[in-house]
Amino acid sequence: MAQAPKEFSVVGKRITRIDAYERVTGQARYTGDIQLPGMLYARVSRSTVPHAKIISIDVSKAEKLPGVKAVIHHGNAQIPWSSGGHTHQRFIFNNPVRYVGDPVAAVAATDRHIAEDALKLIEVKYEKLPHVLDANEALKPDAPKITPDGNLSVGKGNFSAPIQETWGDVEKGFKEADRVFEDTYITKHVNNAQLERRVSIAKWDAGKLTVYASTQGVSNARTDIAKDFNLPLSKVRVVCKYMGGGFGNKNQAQDYDYMAVMLAKVAAQPVKLEFTREDDYVGMHGRWSSEQHYKIGVKKDGTITAVSLEAVTNMGAYRKQSGNLSGTDFYQIPNFRKHIKPVHTNTVVAANYRAPAYPQSVFGFASFLDQIAHEMGVNPVDMFMRNRIQKYKSKTPFTSNYLDECITEGSKRIGWSEKWHKPGTRGGAKKHGIGMALGGYPFRPGLGAATIRMNPDGTAHVLVGVTDIGTGAKSTMAIIAAEALGIPLSQIQLTNGDTDVTPYSVGESGSRTTPFTGPAVIAAAEDVRRQIFNLAAAQLKVKPEELDLRDGEVFVRATPAQKLPLARVVARAGELIGRATTNPSFKDVEGKSFAAHFAEVEVDAWTGHVTITRYVAAHDSGTIINRLPAESQIKGGVTQGIGMAFSEELIIDRLTATPINPNYRDAKVPTHLESPEIEVIFIEHYDTFGPFGGKVVGEPPITPAVATIANAIFNATGKRFKELPITPDKIVRAVRV
Amino acid sequence: MEEEKKGTQLSRRSFLKGLGGGAIGTAVISTGLAKTDSVDAYSAESVGASGGKTPITLKVNGKTYRVEVEHRSTLAEVLRDQLELTGTKIGCDRGECGACTVIINGRNMYSCSQLAVWMQGKDILTIEGLAKGEKLDPVQDAFIEHDGPQCGFCTSGQIMSGKALLLKNSKPTEAQVRRGLSGNLCRCGNYNREVAAVLAAAAKSR
Repeated sequence: MAQAPKEFSVVGKRITRIDAYERVTGQARYTGDIQLPGMLYARVSRSTVPHAKIISIDVSKAEKLPGVKAVIHHGNAQIPWSSGGHTHQRFIFNNPVRYVGDPVAAVAATDRHIAEDALKLIEVKYEKLPHVLDANEALKPDAPKITPDGNLSVGKGNFSAPIQETWGDVEKGFKEADRVFEDTYITKHVNNAQLERRVSIAKWDAGKLTVYASTQGVSNARTDIAKDFNLPLSKVRVVCKYMGGGFGNKNQAQDYDYMAVMLAKVAAQPVKLEFTREDDYVGMHGRWSSEQHYKIGVKKDGTITAVSLEAVTNMGAYRKQSGNLSGTDFYQIPNFRKHIKPVHTNTVVAANYRAPAYPQSVFGFASFLDQIAHEMGVNPVDMFMRNRIQKYKSKTPFTSNYLDECITEGSKRIGWSEKWHKPGTRGGAKKHGIGMALGGYPFRPGLGAATIRMNPDGTAHVLVGVTDIGTGAKSTMAIIAAEALGIPLSQIQLTNGDTDVTPYSVGESGSRTTPFTGPAVIAAAEDVRRQIFNLAAAQLKVKPEELDLRDGEVFVRATPAQKLPLARVVARAGELIGRATTNPSFKDVEGKSFAAHFAEVEVDAWTGHVTITRYVAAHDSGTIINRLPAESQIKGGVTQGIGMAFSEELIIDRLTATPINPNYRDAKVPTHLESPEIEVIFIEHYDTFGPFGGKVVGEPPITPAVATIANAIFNATGKRFKELPITPDKIVRAVRV
Repeated sequence: MEEEKKGTQLSRRSFLKGLGGGAIGTAVISTGLAKTDSVDAYSAESVGASGGKTPITLKVNGKTYRVEVEHRSTLAEVLRDQLELTGTKIGCDRGECGACTVIINGRNMYSCSQLAVWMQGKDILTIEGLAKGEKLDPVQDAFIEHDGPQCGFCTSGQIMSGKALLLKNSKPTEAQVRRGLSGNLCRCGNYNREVAAVLAAAAKSR
C-alpha cells in the first residue's frame, strides 16, 4: 500500500515554525496573558477529605471580604460536567466529595490574592464516609462504595466495564506453547504536568458567552459548554490561540471553564480562573495506574502462541476515560484475551495522558517479553522481530507497516549486535546495559474542515479550528496548504482556534490533527484551485484542466510560457474562497504508526543511579510533513517516558488520603540534567491513506520509552524491575554490590 | 546559580505561603492541601489587602516604571499584571519550573520568587527587552533555528537562562549549558533543542 515518497516542494523539509518568532519574543499571547477590562481573578477551594457528605458550607465570611465579587459551590451552582465523568453524574462541585482535591467552592475577586484569602474564610462541615484508595481493595465486596453501583467503573459505550477483547482460542494457544509464563507488572499514576497551569477566562456580553480557554479542542469545548449550560452553539465562542501544553488533560471543556463561566455570570464581570500548580496536579487528572497480570505462551524459538491479560486500572473518583491497556498492540498474537477492570477509588482522577493506554502497558508487556526471551535463550532483538505485529488482530492489513525496518535500522544505529550481552555481565560497579521495545499509535482518519481565502494579491489565508499544543500543528497545516495550493509558505497566513471564525476541528488529541484536518486543507486548496483555473482558463483561452499553479503563477502545463500571475486572476474576482469538509474512512485496512526504541545505560550499582548514555528512536510515521518539529516531538515523548521510568509518581498518603507530592520538585519530572541526546530515525515511506503520505507523530514516541529503559536496566543488572518508577533505592536493593 | 534560586524560593515560600518555616521541606506541608489551619484563625480583617500598597520604581528593559505594589506581590505578578509584560510566564509560582526566569543585575532569577518591593534599583531584563529593535538576540535566533519552543510556555525562561549563562561564560561546554538551564523545566521534553540553541548562539557570538 505504500509508495516511494513523492516529490514535494514544501512538505518533508526542515521548516522553522510559522509562529516561532512570537514564541521566542514573548509576544505569543497564551490564555493566561489575556487581560480584559474589569476582569476578576478566581481560585478554587478543594476537599481536604477523601470521601464525605458536605453537611454545610458557610461562605458568608468570604463574601464579606472586600474585593470578593462571587462565591459559588454545590449549593448555588449545580452545573453538570458531562465530559468529567461517564459512570455517574458529575457536577463541577460534588456532594458527596469523593477525593482529596474534589472542588468545593470557587471565588472571584478583584485580585488573585484576595481570592486566595477568601478561600481560607470558607467553612465546610463534612460528615466523613469510609474511603478506599487501593484499586484491588476497592473491588472487594465490603469496600466503601464510591458510586451507587459499586467501584467497578461501569459506564456506557466506550466506558463499559470490564474492557474485554478476544480473538482466536487462548486455551488452544497455551496448549500449543512449549512454555507458558505468568507474571504481574505494576505502574503508577503520573501527571501530565504541562507547564501552563489551567486557566480559563469567561465573559458574557448580552447573552453571548466567550471563553478564552487553554484547551486542546475549541470545537469540543464549545459543544460541551453549550450542552451543560443549555445554550445554543451560536451563543458560545471558544478561543485558544496559544496553548502551553496539555498532553491529553486539556481536551474538551473542563470544570474550571465552567466555574469561570458561572462566576462571570454571578459577578456580571469577566473572570479569569487560574489553577495553582497543586490544583493542576490534583484537580484534573494524570495517567491511570495499573496492575497487569499476563499469561504468555511461547514456542521454543520465542514465537508467541497466546496471550492473556487480566488487569486492574485505577481511574480515581470519576471515570473520564477508558482505562484500557493496549501495549500488546505491536505484536502478532494469534490467540488473545484481555480482561481489564477500571476501578473507582477515592483518589485523584486518572484519564488521558499522551498515548493514554500505552506506555504503562508497553512497560508491562515488553518487559515480560524481554524476560521470556532471556529465559528461552533468545536474543531480545530476535524476540521482538519475530513477534512484531504484521496484521491487526492477526487479520486485517495495515495501510503501511515498516516496523521491521524500524527494528533493523534502530538496532544497526545503536550497534545492538556488538553491544548486547548476557544480562548483568558487563561492568563492575558501573554496569553497562542495552535494551529495546516496540511502540506506536493508531492512525485513523475522520471529520475535518478547512477554509482558504485567496487574497487579491495572491496570498492565502488558511482558517482551521486546530489549536497548537506544541506539536507545530499550525505550521503543519500551513505547509500542507502551501503544498496543495502551489504557493510559497511565506504567502500563507493562518488563523486557528476560534469557534466564531475557524471551521470545525476534532481537537488536538489522539494524534488526530494531521489525519483529520490535513485532508480538509488539501480539499479546500483543490476547491479554490478549481475556481482559479476556471477564471484563468477563460483569460488564457485553454481548458481549466490544462492549467497548473506554482510559485504564484497560473500556467498551461504543456506550454508553461503561457501564464498569468495568480494575483491578477484572484483580483478580478475580488476574493476566492475554497472550503471543504472531509470525512475519509478506512475499509478493510487499519492504520498505525510504528516505532522501535533502543537505549544504552550505565547503572551505578552503589548509588542506583542510571545514566542513559545513548538513545535511538526509529519511527515509521509515513511521510514526515515537517522534519524539524517532528523530531522534536519524538525527543519530547522519550523524555516524558524517562520521567515515568525513573522517578514520577503521584504519591497518596495512606493515612490522610492526601497527595503528598503534587508539584514539580516532589513529583520529579525530568530536567536538562536527566535528558540524554535522543537520536531520531524516520523510516519514511509514503502512506497512500494519509495526507501527502503522512501518518501520525505525536503519541508514538512515549509508548516504547519506559519499557526500552527498563529492558536496558535488566540487561545491565540482570534484575527485572516489575514496578514503576525504577528508583535508585529499588536498584540498590536489587543489585547489592 | 541553582543554589541561589533555591535559597530565594524558600525564603519566599516561608512567608508568602504562610506555611511556617519549621515545616518546610516536609512533603505533606508542601501540598497546600493538607493545611490544618482552622478557619477561625482567619478573619476578613486578618487577611486581605489590609497591608496596603507601596509605591516603587522598577527598571525593566531599560525603562523606568512607577508602580504601587502590595508587599506580597511578586515580581512575576507585577511584570505580567501591571506592566503587561506577559512574555514572562508563571508555571508553578513556587520556584520550581523556571518559566518566570528573568535577568536581575546580570543573573537569571525566578521572578515568582522575588518580591516586587525588593526590586527597587535593580536592573531587570525580561524576554521583551532582549531584541535590539527589530534585531533578535542571537539566543532568540538560535531558538527559532533549532526549534527551541514546542508549546513555548517555558521558552522565555529557557532563553533568559541561556542569555544569562552567555553573559558570564561566552564559550560554555554542553555540560555547562545543561547545568545553566537545569532550573528551567520543559515538559514537552525539548531539552536537546534548547541546549543546541544556546550552544549555537554561543558559537555565533564568537
